[in-house]
Amino acid sequence: MASEIDTIRDWVIKGKRKEAVEAARSALAAGIDPGVIMKDGLIAAMSIVGQKFSSGEFFLPHMMIAARAMTEVVDVIKPLLVGEAAAKKGKAVVGTVAGDFHDIGKNIVKMMMEGAGYEVVDLGVDVAVDKFVEAVRSEEPDFLLMSALITLTMESTRRTIDALNAAGLRGGVKVGVGGAPLTQKFADEIGADFYGADAYECVLACNRLVH
Amino acid sequence: MTPRERVLTALKRGQPDQVPWIENDVEEEIQIALMGGRTDYTPGEFCRALGMDGFGYHFPTGSQATAGQAMQTSGTAAAKEAWYHPKRVTFDFVPPWIADMGVDEKSGRTYVKRGLLTDRDSLRYFDEFLPDPDHPGRYDQIAEWLAKYREDYAVFARIRLGSASTFESMGLDVFSLMMFDDPDLVKEIHRRFSEWSARVVQHLNKMDFDFIWANDDHADTKAPWVNMEMYEEFMKPSQMLVAKEIRKPWIFHSDGNLFPILDGLVTLGMNAIHPVQPSAMDINTLKAKYGDRVCIVGNIDLDYTLTRGTPEECEAEVKGRIEKVGKGGGYMISSANSITDYCKVDNVWAMSRAVKKYGKYT
Repeated sequence: MASEIDTIRDWVIKGKRKEAVEAARSALAAGIDPGVIMKDGLIAAMSIVGQKFSSGEFFLPHMMIAARAMTEVVDVIKPLLVGEAAAKKGKAVVGTVAGDFHDIGKNIVKMMMEGAGYEVVDLGVDVAVDKFVEAVRSEEPDFLLMSALITLTMESTRRTIDALNAAGLRGGVKVGVGGAPLTQKFADEIGADFYGADAYECVLACNRLVH
Repeated sequence: MTPRERVLTALKRGQPDQVPWIENDVEEEIQIALMGGRTDYTPGEFCRALGMDGFGYHFPTGSQATAGQAMQTSGTAAAKEAWYHPKRVTFDFVPPWIADMGVDEKSGRTYVKRGLLTDRDSLRYFDEFLPDPDHPGRYDQIAEWLAKYREDYAVFARIRLGSASTFESMGLDVFSLMMFDDPDLVKEIHRRFSEWSARVVQHLNKMDFDFIWANDDHADTKAPWVNMEMYEEFMKPSQMLVAKEIRKPWIFHSDGNLFPILDGLVTLGMNAIHPVQPSAMDINTLKAKYGDRVCIVGNIDLDYTLTRGTPEECEAEVKGRIEKVGKGGGYMISSANSITDYCKVDNVWAMSRAVKKYGKYT
């Protein structure tokens, strides 16, 4: 079984979607638990991809094709997942803050969080404070992840946290922030739970906090 | 030295009489604030007031551009006409994004909602979006402004090598996947943008510009969007089509961390690298490794110092850069991107005073 799971994982890391799907089908036909394929094949693969991205070995295109390969394998195994294996690790709401239309960083975070087994609700770009608050109220996520690429917009992260406090929702959600002008110091100053220097750091922080 | 001589000396990695100050862009709202609310000043007046040594970009003389719209147009018939016959003072020669564009109602900034070059069928958009690079209208009009406003300043034209156009017009997600699914399509899209810019450059070579500033973002603060192997295969051959046509000194601009592909980039033969974002690249490492090949421009922080810092912090940062990186020449002071309308006006004045106070070579 280990070698079949290793094969799926390796194809996903290489972004070879057809080979990954074929290997997953073979594994299922051999009676391997789809939950094991998800955990030890796909989530493990995307964790390695994240590490390689963080270390500078992988670049954006490598991440994109790996994520696509994973998605296609998930489509195959998802209908077969039951019980605990079908459950997501946690839920995150992501978005780029008001006045900011940059979506690359936010999309990478979304991709990596999904790859790590989280359900992600993507609010898109230029997300107003009220919209973040409403999403926290209605989606009841474990994490709110905000991205800001320019100095002009980074204060929106502070305003959102203040609004969550005012709405009495802050205690129920962990808030993470990231983006070019942000720093750990700024995250501490605005009362965020964590700062992610890159998408992989964000995933690691969520993994620490979700348990 | 005249401001022009100062800039051209630094671009050749020489030591002028003082460290020059140039900016890739100064957004019009802050230009006006710096000029005490006036909109009728000339580029030379603006440079004299601040102590800058050159200009390009755009000015509100005539009519004010809204933030973010000045440099980058979208591809409509009206946009083509505006490209041929600009109404306000500009020195830009960048192609439109081939994209579905949005406009932020509050700020007037434009942004790409979605790139339109997603498959082979979409290549037809090139004809629809790109203006004729040989149409004389824009060149004639800007030649008039150049003659009227250049004085003794170093004047630059902004262009693209084609990479930013490719990223934005495909979307980084489609670009990334197509590198594996249809690599020839990615190369063709880049080549078409670069051929357009190469044609533009042939016209610019005949004009009275002092230098060219090529703006092509390749990276975020962590890393370039492609590795060296991808850069060499997908981008450099097309970029070289433009670079080999340039007959004037030129500056290459890209935000973010360029170090992983910089050995490949510098073979394009640019005279200078800008903007050296402090959060992405260590300027001292850049100077040590590449200072014998390129002039370095920039590194005054936009993420904090100019936008959220104090005038004292601005002064200290300018002083530090001049003392450390300016030593021996081959360095020009500049913000680590541009003077955006969200910089503090007092901080820009502090930068101006600091360049005058500490910039002289003895």
